[in-house]
Amino acid sequence: MEHIELFFKSIFIDNMVFATFLGMCSYLAVSKKVTTAVGLGAAVIFVLAITVPLNWLLDQFILQPGALSWLGAEYADYDLSFLSFIMFIATIATMVQLVEIIVEKFSPSLYNSLGIFLPLIAVNCAILGGSLFMQSREIATLGLATTYGIGSGIGWFLAILAIAAIREKIRYSNVPAPLRGLGITFIITGLMAIGFMSFGGMLTGGDEEGEALEDKSAQIETVQDKSTTNEIANNTKVID
Amino acid sequence: MGKDTKLILDPLADNNPITIQVLGICSALAITAELEASIVMSISVLFVLGVGNVVISLMRNIIPSKIRIIVQLIVVATLVIIVDLVLKAFAYELSKTLSVFVGLIITNCIIMGRFEAFALGNGPWRSFLDGIGNSLGYAVILIIVGFFRELLGSGTLLGIKILGDPVAKTGLYAFGYENNGFMLLSPMALIVVGIIIWVQRSRNKALIED
Amino acid sequence: MEKRTDKNSYTVIFAIGMVLVVGALLAYLASALKPMITENQRLEKQQNILYAMGINNNTPGSATFISTDEAPEKFEKYITDQVVLEVKDGKIVSQLSREEYKAKNSGQEPYLIDVKKQQANAKAGKNRKLPLFVGEKEGKKFYIAPIRGKGLWDAIWGYIAMDENMVVQGAYFDHKGETPGLGANIKQRYFMDDFYGEHLLTEAGVFKGITISKSNADPTNQDKKDYEIDAIAGATITGDGVTAMIKKDLKLYVPYFKNLKNKQ
Repeated sequence: MEHIELFFKSIFIDNMVFATFLGMCSYLAVSKKVTTAVGLGAAVIFVLAITVPLNWLLDQFILQPGALSWLGAEYADYDLSFLSFIMFIATIATMVQLVEIIVEKFSPSLYNSLGIFLPLIAVNCAILGGSLFMQSREIATLGLATTYGIGSGIGWFLAILAIAAIREKIRYSNVPAPLRGLGITFIITGLMAIGFMSFGGMLTGGDEEGEALEDKSAQIETVQDKSTTNEIANNTKVID
Repeated sequence: MGKDTKLILDPLADNNPITIQVLGICSALAITAELEASIVMSISVLFVLGVGNVVISLMRNIIPSKIRIIVQLIVVATLVIIVDLVLKAFAYELSKTLSVFVGLIITNCIIMGRFEAFALGNGPWRSFLDGIGNSLGYAVILIIVGFFRELLGSGTLLGIKILGDPVAKTGLYAFGYENNGFMLLSPMALIVVGIIIWVQRSRNKALIED
Repeated sequence: MEKRTDKNSYTVIFAIGMVLVVGALLAYLASALKPMITENQRLEKQQNILYAMGINNNTPGSATFISTDEAPEKFEKYITDQVVLEVKDGKIVSQLSREEYKAKNSGQEPYLIDVKKQQANAKAGKNRKLPLFVGEKEGKKFYIAPIRGKGLWDAIWGYIAMDENMVVQGAYFDHKGETPGLGANIKQRYFMDDFYGEHLLTEAGVFKGITISKSNADPTNQDKKDYEIDAIAGATITGDGVTAMIKKDLKLYVPYFKNLKNKQ
């Protein structure tokens, strides 16, 4: 249940492109044709699905304050969180390069269709964003981190697929000349983002957690105040 | 026009990093709800891109081409983290204002984009000028977007109430004017940038696509 | 012709060298600057706590701390006591005075307790240490509690000052990376000042908390018993984060305040 929720949440509610505006540069630059958009989107899903869990492990066992305690009690006080940016970036860049080499070796046809996008991905801020969100939202288990990575990737894929399809069709429309290309893409993306804001009203995992905690303390409190949790749930959320 | 002046002036309009090169969009959308944040971000990028370009340009002959992207990312991340740590130790107040921007700068593709496109193939002085030029071009768009979003969204500029007080109904609000809260949301930043592109390309027909 | 920099051996050597240089540089800087950074953070905590109980250099429209030079002295003067509650599953299991806590934790002051670590402890099923700071200004008592939660991008936290009836007497909020101009405005004066006088408990003494609401009919916040604060436009998720951290963290202090009442 937790997985399904996080999965859909990361696709629709926290959509990388429309809610957090990450990965915009490649989204705008590589969305002229559906086929190339699909290639890049697939590569993003793939890389996110690998790097988010990997960085989760790094974060849990190396970077977090006290994470080194598995090495022995004397290491428990180390706090390496200032290295998170560098470590995450290094993992991502290494993984991208590694994937490139492996794909080239074992499946040249896939490499030909995907290959040119892989270097682009290392500089796609959606990838780093995925890892940083995973860290700051304190995702609890490795499995959830994987789900989150895949979900975010699919969200990004959907977004670039949609805009590429629209851009292919819009070539037949009579757009004012100065707006053609980049200009109209910006405006359409803005309108799509407004559309995606309506997903914000859906119940999310965060509320669920609040309710669970509330219940726990309410047992001790004797008087249970259900209305507060419902209030949070009823407040329509709009993307920040 | 001298070659060096061109490096500074070109990115301001005809080769603008945001509206033409499509670089640094994420941050342009995220932080432009207020003019002040736009200005702070512009200054930070000016610093990081100026220094980063020089560093990469100095290293350009020793960076192995296979791992150049990792090297570039590490250089910029290291620079930003060092500045952040030093500020935290010696200018704590300032570091609190800037700490929000640290992540945004590292993930800003304008920095990677200019490293890759310019600093890797040019000398330090020209790279420095390119860095300054591009960050100024970036700043221009950020400040325009920030200006309109803050003015129309909250009726203020740099926190100063320009259009009167919306609660006490003075100034423009006395005539029934209302703030457009929608301007504060990120999708409107996309639309404002779209309009800027529209205006720019109708003035300079050479930039029109297709 | 293959360039020198294209060779595999060169690439590997370069990568190792780079990692060593960068790692050493960052580790050196981080450890060299650590004492100063910790000291700055300590002073900031003092400033934050004092801010919440209304000791600050505010001018109209701005939120300004007292200077760092004055902070330790004023902290000594105004914060008269610090209490540490140990909580398990929402129930208070023990209560330590400042002296008892210091004796147990090699002299560490209770206000330096890391709320993030304690929240993690609670999640892992261990005891959570809840600090509470008692301040006194002009004969009035303040109980100041730290709270911490998640905003849109990253952590948000704050200090809420209350009187013995859990009526808010001041609030301070801060954040790590909320959107400038939107969520970041939780540390603006107009938002923090709204909390003054809000009730956390119902008439019957049940904890209700404060909700950051978009749709309350009270944008100038005249009604102090509606358990609602007007939200910041465009920052709903940050606002929900503030609501959640108030409800989750302050709720744990309710038994303490009830004891306080019973004693009187």
